[in-house]
Amino acid sequence: MKVRIGFEIHEQLATRTKLFCTSPADYRDAEPNTNVCEICLGMPGAKPMGVNAEAVEGAVAIALMLNCEIVQEPVYILRKHYDYPDLPSGYQRTSMPIGRNGELAGVGIWEVHLEEDPGKYDPVTGKVDYNRSGVPLVEIVTAPDITSPEEARAFMRELVKVLQYSRRVRREGGTMRVDVNVSIEDGARVEIKNINSIRGLYRALKFEITRQKNLRRRGKAVRRETRAYIEEQMITRSMRTKETAEDYRYIPDPDLPPLRITPELVERIRRELPEAPHQKLARFVEQYRISRDDAWAITSEPEMADAFEQVCTQVEPARAAAFFRHIIKKTLNYHNLSFAESGIRVEDIVQVLRAISEGRLSQQAGELVMRRVVEGERAAEVLREMSRVDEQSLVSAVEQAIHQNPGAVEDYRRGKQEAINYLVGQVMRITKGRADAARALELLRERLS
Amino acid sequence: MAAEFVLEHSPEEHLARCLDRIEREDGRINAFIELNPRASEEVREAPHGRLRGMVVGVKSNINVRGLRATCASRTLENYVSPYDAVVVERLRREGAVVVGMTNMDEFACGSSGETSFFGPTRNPVAEDRIPGGSSSGSAAAVAAGFADAALGSDTGGSIRNPASHCGVVGVKPTYGLVPRHGLIDLAMSLDQIGPITRDVRTAALLLEVIAGRSREASMLNASPEPYSQRLTPDLSGVRVGFAREFEEFTAPEILGVVKRSLRRLEAQGAEVVEVELPSLEKALPTYYLIVFVEFFSATRRYDGRRYGHRIEEVCGAEVLRRILLGSYISQKEYAGRYYRRALQFRSLIRRELLEALEKVDVLAGPTTPKLPHRLGEELSPLEMYAYDLLTVPANLAGIPAGVVPAGRAGGIPVGLQVHAKPLQEQLMLNVMLAAEGRE
Repeated sequence: MKVRIGFEIHEQLATRTKLFCTSPADYRDAEPNTNVCEICLGMPGAKPMGVNAEAVEGAVAIALMLNCEIVQEPVYILRKHYDYPDLPSGYQRTSMPIGRNGELAGVGIWEVHLEEDPGKYDPVTGKVDYNRSGVPLVEIVTAPDITSPEEARAFMRELVKVLQYSRRVRREGGTMRVDVNVSIEDGARVEIKNINSIRGLYRALKFEITRQKNLRRRGKAVRRETRAYIEEQMITRSMRTKETAEDYRYIPDPDLPPLRITPELVERIRRELPEAPHQKLARFVEQYRISRDDAWAITSEPEMADAFEQVCTQVEPARAAAFFRHIIKKTLNYHNLSFAESGIRVEDIVQVLRAISEGRLSQQAGELVMRRVVEGERAAEVLREMSRVDEQSLVSAVEQAIHQNPGAVEDYRRGKQEAINYLVGQVMRITKGRADAARALELLRERLS
Repeated sequence: MAAEFVLEHSPEEHLARCLDRIEREDGRINAFIELNPRASEEVREAPHGRLRGMVVGVKSNINVRGLRATCASRTLENYVSPYDAVVVERLRREGAVVVGMTNMDEFACGSSGETSFFGPTRNPVAEDRIPGGSSSGSAAAVAAGFADAALGSDTGGSIRNPASHCGVVGVKPTYGLVPRHGLIDLAMSLDQIGPITRDVRTAALLLEVIAGRSREASMLNASPEPYSQRLTPDLSGVRVGFAREFEEFTAPEILGVVKRSLRRLEAQGAEVVEVELPSLEKALPTYYLIVFVEFFSATRRYDGRRYGHRIEEVCGAEVLRRILLGSYISQKEYAGRYYRRALQFRSLIRRELLEALEKVDVLAGPTTPKLPHRLGEELSPLEMYAYDLLTVPANLAGIPAGVVPAGRAGGIPVGLQVHAKPLQEQLMLNVMLAAEGRE
């Protein structure tokens, strides 16, 4: 049976301010309902400022990276009316398409447009937090070109990568929301809402396709309806049918003149467009002479690809590539973190790779260092600690220092406190700097008291 | 000519006199919903600006921090503004003092001043009559001498209609000249804030203070002009258009006053020319369809979750009628038939007015087709809407229009309405000054 799947993907844009006011778009550290003003609260009388130019440019850049045409005609901002506690003015502002007729990985992109995020409603406590209200979202609508949950998952991974590469979306994670349309053999189209991860997407599709196939096998028709994905149970549940579908009463927002996206703006954004993932992959293979597999792993995230290029200015690319693909990727997977979230710095990688190449560190120990870096330490400190002399060698170094410097020992015993610092210095010299200075001081004091 | 507000007394003394008059007479007139308890303090701290000491009433649909912007509705009876409208900020910066929030038709839905949740307002000049609306309290407060000036809002005549009935000056500026941020919506594509005053000079001064660009999206990129300094009653070479259709729709006693006023303009050098506005009769249905849809949208936020009441549960009959009609005609299956059609007619009317204004410099004529009715007299909705026939075209076209007292008919004030091209407020005010017959 032929399955057709299409997506509507919403992702927050990483702008400085919200879409229609100057409240910050990043609300993550704010107390509930503090990252707001009368405009994003939709208070009586408040009027929107013009559409945030940074958000418009972000949507254009993403549309271009998805190979869309940018619309020439004026782009109206519509009011979509519905009644829900998270929507402070009773309507959500959503633009007409900014980009159209794009394509990614063989899947058609119908349109790309801008929207404002509503607030966050907690049905359990009945409380609403409007910090998010008015944050710019980009919405991407695909053609129903996908035919299985596996394909859906692969496409989604590719799309997420392109969005990350655009550098226009929030990198904190957890802001993506996907609505999915599924139909079987030209049956009724079912929309699934409330999906916010690729794993959730895969499971929701698995369940929904089975549900629809079972209905058909029993000779029943699939109803045109909207269903919610219930994450905990991995099922979908009916929300509303076509008969009870809401009428959003769209009107062009009278407070907002339509956007005009000039060809000059489009050209400027096109010129400054970041490299797409597949372009970067090809360049890495060519420029650094590394394998496609290495390049594919390294370019899975733009921040990782950037770090790789910086490491390559100091370390031989082939060794760097192997380290990225095998050690760093593995460490990130183990901690379930992205490179951007991991806190790994270029200097950490360079220091570990140097230690390995100088024979001071084994490959396996290198992996342990990276793990501790991800847990919040710096590679330099970890390496220093790992290379320290053991207690027994330290004791003999201390004894050697005392034996070789009777003058300093004499001075110290006569009450000249500074003399002991000289002796610590001698211990460090003897151990080639690999002693723990604090422990050496302790041992010297014991011996000389 | 000094571009400043001039007082006979100290600002404190002047405010005290206004408050005294309000206390004695507003129990009867009902121009104010709420007085500003901090007014006396504010007048002492007021900066020495162009409006120093000016006592201003603000319509109850404009946000003044700390005062209630009720829109004269139970819906917002407990809504205390957390912010100042841009126009209020600008008034304060020039030394004006807000004396209180004026009465109005509920959510500005009305042309008589009778639909307020806080009771109707009387016309101070003819107390058995309505003051007109919806800026009823603003016009009445100025006519009764409770305030030097008031801010009103005009969606389809709400400044000009009560100005005409109460014998005061009222200006609806070009759409996008005065910031609306802080004005609670009736119909966003038509609403403008404007001054109501006792003379043209004060209106010009107030307008130059509140006009000019701001950060909101729907503003024109226009600078304020020193209207009050450039005022002149000399109309040499000015062509004044009078539309044949005005006569068709207007009561003869009003036409008589208006025509005498046109003769005064001729005496100041103007040439009066007849023009045609064949689509005038389409203006009213066009206007109301747009208002219903935009008002429906604007009222969705009063869902009972944030401001205490769900609007449909507590509002008056006229507000409810507009919400229900707006909801009905903006449904998916009707949107093309009504709202989009209305927007097309709006373009037609705008084009026709701008074409007429190509042939002449201003259009002058009556403000309302009939004199104000007696308070409490029952009118059908369509009879009530008919008051707006001559005022809605300016809003549909986005052009400025002002009203100046032209005389009286049977003791009831009649205002002359002057329309000008977009951003030609100066010329409009000059014509109004000439008609005013002062200076």
